[in-house]
Amino acid sequence: MVDLSVDLGFICLKNPVIPASGTFGYGEEFLPFFNLDLLGAFILKGIYKNKRMGNPPPRIQETPAGLLNSIGLPGPGMKELKKIIQRVYQSTSTPIIINVCGETDQEYLDVAEYFDGMEEVAILELNISCPNVKSGGRCPAQDDKHTYRLVKQIKQSVSTPIMVKLSPNVTDISAIAISAEEAGADCISLTNTFLGMALDLESRKPVFPNIVAGLSGPAIKPLALRLVWEVANNVHIPVIGMGGITTGQDVLEFILAGATAVQIGTINLVEPAASIRIIKEIKETMEQLEIANLKELTGKLQT
Amino acid sequence: MRDDICNIVENIQIQGEYYLLKIHSEYISARAIPGNFIMISVSSTMEPLLKRPFGIFETDPPYIWIYYQVVGKGSRLVSEFKPGDKISVLGPLGNSFPPVTNQSILMIAGGRGIAPIHFAIKKYQKENKISLIYGARSKHNLNLLDLLKPLTLQVLLLYSDDGSIGKRGNVTTDLRKTIQKSGISITFSCGPDNMFKSIYQVTRELKTRDYASLEALMGCGFGICYSCVIQTRKSGYQKVCTDGPIFDMDEIAW
Ligand SMILES: Cc1cc2nc3c(=O)[nH]c(=O)nc-3n(C[C@H](O)[C@H](O)[C@H](O)COP(=O)(O)OP(=O)(O)OC[C@H]3O[C@@H](n4cnc5c(N)ncnc54)[C@H](O)[C@@H]3O)c2cc1C
Ligand SMILES: Cc1cc2nc3c(=O)[nH]c(=O)nc-3n(C[C@H](O)[C@H](O)[C@H](O)COP(=O)(O)O)c2cc1C
Ligand code: FES
Repeated sequence: MVDLSVDLGFICLKNPVIPASGTFGYGEEFLPFFNLDLLGAFILKGIYKNKRMGNPPPRIQETPAGLLNSIGLPGPGMKELKKIIQRVYQSTSTPIIINVCGETDQEYLDVAEYFDGMEEVAILELNISCPNVKSGGRCPAQDDKHTYRLVKQIKQSVSTPIMVKLSPNVTDISAIAISAEEAGADCISLTNTFLGMALDLESRKPVFPNIVAGLSGPAIKPLALRLVWEVANNVHIPVIGMGGITTGQDVLEFILAGATAVQIGTINLVEPAASIRIIKEIKETMEQLEIANLKELTGKLQT
Repeated sequence: MRDDICNIVENIQIQGEYYLLKIHSEYISARAIPGNFIMISVSSTMEPLLKRPFGIFETDPPYIWIYYQVVGKGSRLVSEFKPGDKISVLGPLGNSFPPVTNQSILMIAGGRGIAPIHFAIKKYQKENKISLIYGARSKHNLNLLDLLKPLTLQVLLLYSDDGSIGKRGNVTTDLRKTIQKSGISITFSCGPDNMFKSIYQVTRELKTRDYASLEALMGCGFGICYSCVIQTRKSGYQKVCTDGPIFDMDEIAW
């Protein structure tokens, strides 16, 4: 028997598979497909303080083995989300993670404080890739000082463990990761989507009204793997890796690169029960390779 | 709603880029109602990545039929499916046309829009009087006529842009007259976006209830990704995949 459990220090998960924010709805949409108890944890769609409409369509475009999205984080606002969480909590004992968003540092703080201490909420994931209205649209994740300031402020105000989700659209991702760690982050997740673009030659216009969009899916896996490896080599807190994962083998590669657990994103849209298949594949591959537990593999890349 | 591996039973080219696909799915065939759609995975690799949405043309348990047009790489891959191929199919998805009995329903289909309309006629013809307006670019695009023969239709009007079959014109050419003459109280339609708008101009004026099956770019088909939204008058953006694909046209902000 192989042991799939992983230890983030502040919480133990029965396996390393965590469906990623924005690709798993509020969890309950997946109840027709599988028992949520089978997951390591799951992350709800990103949430701001107030209700948001999201961007005008078109919101997606397929790319070779990838997906560009410009959804714009629509959502019902934090009060409505609280009711949803209380409902979802009834159907599972798997840890629930909230993806905290904000247009200002104050909004991040308000949202984090609102969910702090709810017994239904295991971890707060800070989505620091949200455009910040006070920084000319730049997101906290693009500035190590801003990241430090924001994480520090939130860590001082809440007791729920914090996972800081990094953006790949920076020159030195380790600098941001180190800032998050120094500010007290309990763990780090990466990567969010890569900025990309799609154009329409005929109209000479960008496909997305927002001009740029975020790239995800199998196409980004090698890029994400490199970033996870780099960050894991530079921080001492657990790293949750993601980007283009579609198989159990992919998961084990991220773990070998230094991740303690992983998130599963875009593939959820295409194959609702992907996470369950992936858990099975992890087990099978571990048996084949005679890996008894995942700790044995974490960060054991031979270079 | 289930995501199952299903067997392809038949894949028949009707004419040009139009095909009928027969899929074995006990689950979907037993549950689908007119307006529902499915998401089909078009490749066993990750390329193309997304499943493609197709309306249900007919159920014949344990089978379902899809009527599709080849328009790009995904639908081209569907046209290459062979009997015995196994594909992943998610469904049944979406809402359905409203329940209606003892009424005169006018069905309006443009091109491949006949798919959900055909299913609706089959289910609604027992308890309602059905008329059909069916339009296409030319006779090469207007096919399936043999399949329409067994349906009980009060009126069947065909139109083509070039007049090569039926009357020259489009589905709205005689719409006003047809609604008034045949005592139509409600319309169900499916076709290209511009068709819905011109139908709605007439139905709004005549105060005829107007339900349309809309299309949108879909990332998931089951309400997760929020990619398929349409602007409504009162409720902001709604998801075509779970709030639709059938909408009361009075609710859409055109
Ligand atoms: C609820 C619903 C039901 C549908 N039912 C049917 C049906 O019964 N029969 C049928 O032939 N088609 C149907 N469609 C349209 C069908 O899904 C698209 O034609 C198909 O996804 C195109 O894929 P592709 O890879 O061949 O084309 P692509 O290469 O992706 O695109 C080719 C062209 O098709 C357009 N297109 C792509 N995806 C969609 C989409 N989801 N909706 C509309 N246009 C699209 C693109 O904008 C482009 O112009 C339906 C769509 C929806 C949303
Ligand atoms: C449709 C869609 C919506 C997303 N929404 C969010 C979100 O609300 N918050 C967030 O932090 N990341 C969001 N993401 C990013 C994913 O969580 C993930 O970081 C990214 O897609 C990379 O992983 P993948 O390649 O496995 O999809 C979204 C991604 C997609 C495709
Ligand atoms: S297609 Fe994903 S929400 Fe409608």
